[in-house]
Amino acid sequence: MSNLISTDQPFTLDEKEALDALLDTLVPASDAGDKPSAADVEFVQYLAQQDELFIPEVKSLLAILGHISFDSEAEERYERVVAFSNSNPRAFRELLSRVYDCYYQDDRVRRAIGVVSGSPFPQGNEIVSGDLSLLDPVIAEADRHRYRDTK
Amino acid sequence: MDEDVVDVLIIGAGASGAAAAWSLADTRMRIVCLEQGDWTNPADYPSNAANWENQSFGPYSIDPNVRARETDYPINNDDSAVKVVNFNGVGGSTILYAAHFPRLHPSDFQVKTLDAVAEDWPIDYATLEPYFALNDRVMGVSGLSGDPMNPAKQPPLPPLPMGLVGEAMARGFNQLGWHWWPSDSAIISQPYEGRDKCLNLGPCTSGCAQGGKSSTDVTYWPEAIRRGVELRTRCRVREITMNDNGFADGVIYYNAEGEECHQRAEVVVMAANGVGTPRILLNSVSKQFPRGLANSSGLVGKNLMFHPVGNVQGRFDERLDSHKGPQGCCILSKEFYETDLSRGFVRGYNLQITRGAGPMATAMAGFANGTIPWGAGHHEAFAKRFDHVASIGVIGEDLPEEHNTVTLDPKLVDSDGIPAPKITYRYSDNSLKMIAHGIARAEEAMWAAGAVEVRSNGPARLTGWHLLGTARMGSDPGTSVVNHWGRSHDVKNLFIVDGSIFVTGGGVNPTSTIQALALYIADTMKKNLANLFD
Repeated sequence: MSNLISTDQPFTLDEKEALDALLDTLVPASDAGDKPSAADVEFVQYLAQQDELFIPEVKSLLAILGHISFDSEAEERYERVVAFSNSNPRAFRELLSRVYDCYYQDDRVRRAIGVVSGSPFPQGNEIVSGDLSLLDPVIAEADRHRYRDTK
Repeated sequence: MDEDVVDVLIIGAGASGAAAAWSLADTRMRIVCLEQGDWTNPADYPSNAANWENQSFGPYSIDPNVRARETDYPINNDDSAVKVVNFNGVGGSTILYAAHFPRLHPSDFQVKTLDAVAEDWPIDYATLEPYFALNDRVMGVSGLSGDPMNPAKQPPLPPLPMGLVGEAMARGFNQLGWHWWPSDSAIISQPYEGRDKCLNLGPCTSGCAQGGKSSTDVTYWPEAIRRGVELRTRCRVREITMNDNGFADGVIYYNAEGEECHQRAEVVVMAANGVGTPRILLNSVSKQFPRGLANSSGLVGKNLMFHPVGNVQGRFDERLDSHKGPQGCCILSKEFYETDLSRGFVRGYNLQITRGAGPMATAMAGFANGTIPWGAGHHEAFAKRFDHVASIGVIGEDLPEEHNTVTLDPKLVDSDGIPAPKITYRYSDNSLKMIAHGIARAEEAMWAAGAVEVRSNGPARLTGWHLLGTARMGSDPGTSVVNHWGRSHDVKNLFIVDGSIFVTGGGVNPTSTIQALALYIADTMKKNLANLFD
């Protein structure tokens, strides 16, 4: 559930409905059910907390996009968003980057794609050191690989 | 009223300014460094926050025109095939660099003798060798000795982990019989000098929250300051001033409040990089130097060199954990580093293996190149690419050409009204042939390593990290700006220690060589203190 209290909601109910339909069109839930829809990852809260200045942009984009809702067939929604992205490529790219940024911060999504640690600090990652015996052929052919001695 | 006069005034607190300040601190002279940016707080770096990927495209962008902080200056790249990238602050561009730390080769200092192009340097690799070694120790460099493509050296720390990406590419190189070696990296693989080792977070190029990456704010500067160097931030230099005897006598700069100040000095050392240094010199016009300070040769701002870059990405069926570990430091191949005219070009390049991007960057890159759609097919396409890619950066040698320049923009200014630099740059035919050759070889390596899909692009535009050649060194005052130890031919108390003085660029990342040069020049100054201006 969102941590935003209702009086802080930056979007009207109509805008929120359209936004959810747009988000679900951009990143629907996975067939296997392990990854949620982007409409289910607290995008509004993400904007409020991490990118508040972009909220007016989203409202403008929704106004340009016009009415879109879950009442429409998925195919119809998809075509609407394709048309929107073609006519507003820069704005669409800006929106999509925020949607992906939010989506791939979600713990359920991160678990599903195998990101269990890493940023943010101070978590880190374990990686294999690598098999240095793979260097044996390079060392064996050292003369062929010798740097150009200029003396 | 008597003005305050310092012994040595260093302009810029980045890779070279830090090394020079640290070395000159031995003298107990009064040393002041003016830096236009701030100290960065590692707690502010994007990798502390969940939205680190998005931040790296904005407030921590490598592009100063996107970052657009008060402490940045705008750069006009409109007439350039390459966009300049940098960072302005204590540590300079080492704050955002990948920390790939190879050295120039011995052959790089003698390209005219060996290949009949450009000019030889007035110094050789052997001259710099002790300073390379010293710099490796102070910075904290991880690597593996024994590379047959380099003269013998002993990195102070063991190499960073290759990871699955490095292993896959190593097998590919072995199949082709090509050279490869674990990268020298200015990232500590073990605890070192009070810093804890790299955590393999990944996003080195938006600042290292751990401090495992050796930027000069955590290496040279703390010790230089302990030894008495005064570092003043938010001080943006407008011009170098001259006295009637033909000596530099200080600089005019703007402080944090925007007030114009004059700092007098006995010696001025420029360390503002290959764009910032010529910018200040060209803006320092006087009766003696109507074309800009130290510019009797007319070469200040000319011969700008970058390193042309191509990119090849391979997708693998197996998971490579590619988003884990230092992005730019893994392994490299120098199979094509030295000249072989049968390839159709002179000089050469290295193949730098880089690791993969985080999830958001993977998704956005896939959107941009059409490999990962939004909508119904997103998850399947994303799963095929994320953590399943390896990349090769083809980094080639760029030869000096006088028509590639840094000049002062007639209109664009920074927040203090100082003219911004304008970049004019075209790739040479030699560079284009070299990058095309490198991309083809990198594709070959990807297939040999087992990639199931290979994509290429280049030369890439937002790659202007390496800013070289705009005040080159040489023996002849008619064809160079500084002498063989960084002193201006025209102004005997003006020194340059940054990448501006490179004669040629080599085919590897230059920071290690820039810092070795700065240490060498500082050491030579110390040895000649009694007759520094003779």
